[in-house]
Amino acid sequence: MTAQTIIQSLASGLLMGLLYGLIAVGLALIFGLMDVVNFAHGEFLMIAMYATFFLFAFFAIDPLLSAPLVAAALFVFGAVAYLLIVRFAVRAKANAGMVQIFSTFGLAIVMRGLAQYFFTPDYRSVTHSWLGGKTVSIGGIFLPEPQLIGAAVAIAAFGGLYFFINRTDFGRALEATREDAGAVALVGIDKNRVFALGWGLGAALVGLAGAIMSIFFYIYPDVGASFALIAYVTVALGGFGSVFGAFAGGIIVGLVEASTALLLPPSLKAVGIYAVYLLVVFVRPRGLFGSM
Amino acid sequence: MTITRRNVLLGATAVAALAPIASRAQTSEVVIGVLYPLSGASAQQGVDAQKAYEAALDVINKNHEFDLPMAKGEGLSGLGGAKIRLIYADHQGDPQKGRAEAERLITQEKVCAIVGTYQSSVAVTVSQTCERYQIPFLSADNSSPSLHTRGLKFFFRAAPHDEMFTRAMFDFYDALKKKGTKIDTLALFHEDTIFGTDSANAQIKLAKERGYKIVADIKYRSNTPSLSAEVQQLKVANADVLMPSSYTTDGILLVKTMAELGYKPNAIVAQAAGFSEKALYDAVGDKLEGVITRGSFSLDLAAKRPMVGAINALFKEKSGKDLNDNTSREFMALIVLADAINRAKSTDGEKIRTALAATEIPGEQTIMPWKRVKFDEMGQNNDADPVLLQYRGGKFVTISPPQGAVAEPVWPMK
Repeated sequence: MTAQTIIQSLASGLLMGLLYGLIAVGLALIFGLMDVVNFAHGEFLMIAMYATFFLFAFFAIDPLLSAPLVAAALFVFGAVAYLLIVRFAVRAKANAGMVQIFSTFGLAIVMRGLAQYFFTPDYRSVTHSWLGGKTVSIGGIFLPEPQLIGAAVAIAAFGGLYFFINRTDFGRALEATREDAGAVALVGIDKNRVFALGWGLGAALVGLAGAIMSIFFYIYPDVGASFALIAYVTVALGGFGSVFGAFAGGIIVGLVEASTALLLPPSLKAVGIYAVYLLVVFVRPRGLFGSM
Repeated sequence: MTITRRNVLLGATAVAALAPIASRAQTSEVVIGVLYPLSGASAQQGVDAQKAYEAALDVINKNHEFDLPMAKGEGLSGLGGAKIRLIYADHQGDPQKGRAEAERLITQEKVCAIVGTYQSSVAVTVSQTCERYQIPFLSADNSSPSLHTRGLKFFFRAAPHDEMFTRAMFDFYDALKKKGTKIDTLALFHEDTIFGTDSANAQIKLAKERGYKIVADIKYRSNTPSLSAEVQQLKVANADVLMPSSYTTDGILLVKTMAELGYKPNAIVAQAAGFSEKALYDAVGDKLEGVITRGSFSLDLAAKRPMVGAINALFKEKSGKDLNDNTSREFMALIVLADAINRAKSTDGEKIRTALAATEIPGEQTIMPWKRVKFDEMGQNNDADPVLLQYRGGKFVTISPPQGAVAEPVWPMK
């Protein structure tokens, strides 16, 4: 194992980790806001990838250009999903937790089924995008441009989210609703609007991730599943409800995955992630940056 | 005659004994279970397989002039012209779901045989279930060698297994080496279910026997989100030949990641699966000029056997795709099975099994480059000769074995 191999693996892990973080942040945001786990998070990612693909296939719009469009579309989709489904699920009188799980889980299955029905199970791919297959080489270390851009977008999106939550009125309303949804209603903040905004934001973030990922990953109806699992681990590792934790968790997961693949047979690389996850949950059940 | 209890009982017994025969003689349809991944990561293969079976069903149930068993005339003549009906079930690529669905097909749907399953890992559980219920299982497109060596009586496979495919690859290397091409080191890249594992084992064994050095043996987790670390190791090993055993999703990601990490192998010789799928070439075909894959089918055969082109057209009408390594084997599986049921003149599992064991179909009466279809005592057809295909200018050409080749191989790949 040469130094170059180690640096390359860690660099690849870091770039992948930033993307994992971007995917997980939306999940953490929604959970932090209203204690609901969105089990359709992977399917949000899937439709974002399909949207990017179709914009590319029919209108030849490069994923880099369509990313903001896709994020905006996902924002609307997320808000509507909240208003049409989740809003009623959280109101359930009996077994509220179960109803929430089944509502988003059901949404996931419906979305997957519809995608298979309308888009067929064929594997799609964005071919010949501006960045596809391009790579930067620094001293023998290869940094693929799609992942570099993905990492930059992830950092920018996280910065933007941080600014939004801490510096704007809506952000403060979001934070206040997070702390005490009952009390904000007394001061005239419409809880439903804030929740819808949160869902929209969460979906928009995963939409950004999907748009960037479609440059280097294949697209099919079940594509969300493998990423969603990592996103749940990332959120739990970083700390439930902590947006910063999800981001840091993503980076840790990416690095751990890459180093495990370096030390153990690659078929066991997921073991490293779950080992670290278990360790964190044992030592600090609320996650690394969790506040609850 | 007075009606005694004894006579009533005798009569009832006689009627009961006759009833199944009577209903069997009137059988207007023969029900066969078809088990594939119709949702999940491999749904595309399942949906394509459905089209292949529909094409075969068309050939069997309607009158065609092809020189294939069961093509002429409608339905199964041995069962009074009975038509075959297929019942599809979805195993989602999960061995446990495969087992449950096989059980349901046999006990609820009363199928008389099962074909499937794409993934070898699922074929393991499905064939065991079929064995328990004494229902024949025809493995259409599973290639793991360990499937037929378990001593199952009801397991049959007309297509080659990975040891046969791998032998074809090494014969090809040997021939190239003789002509002065440098092939010393191999890198194996395989997924972690039975397909990839068996494939790698066969490759390791043959490499040892024939004096090739394996410089990387990378077993990766299927459907993984990232293959950077794996490709990095392949790149460091930099073997003369990269030998992947991957399904479509991983195959696409592998090729994309190789391009990103600046790894251009000298040659790729693939164990089909993803590398025989149109979806993979749609996604990354521009990076695969000159890739070689093993196959059990070649459209080049249509030049010698026009029927192959006609059947391809029949399939293409249904699916919009050309027959490939998988769909051709699926097509043939139903033909072979229908032929056996026809000769068995029965839908009884044991009788179909006996008829399958007696199968003898000459190669010319298939759409494959096989010598013939004849099963050994383990249910494997050892006369199913594989071919090697090279991807050039957007299509596959047969480059090996010499008797089937239409072109010289391009080595190294571009």
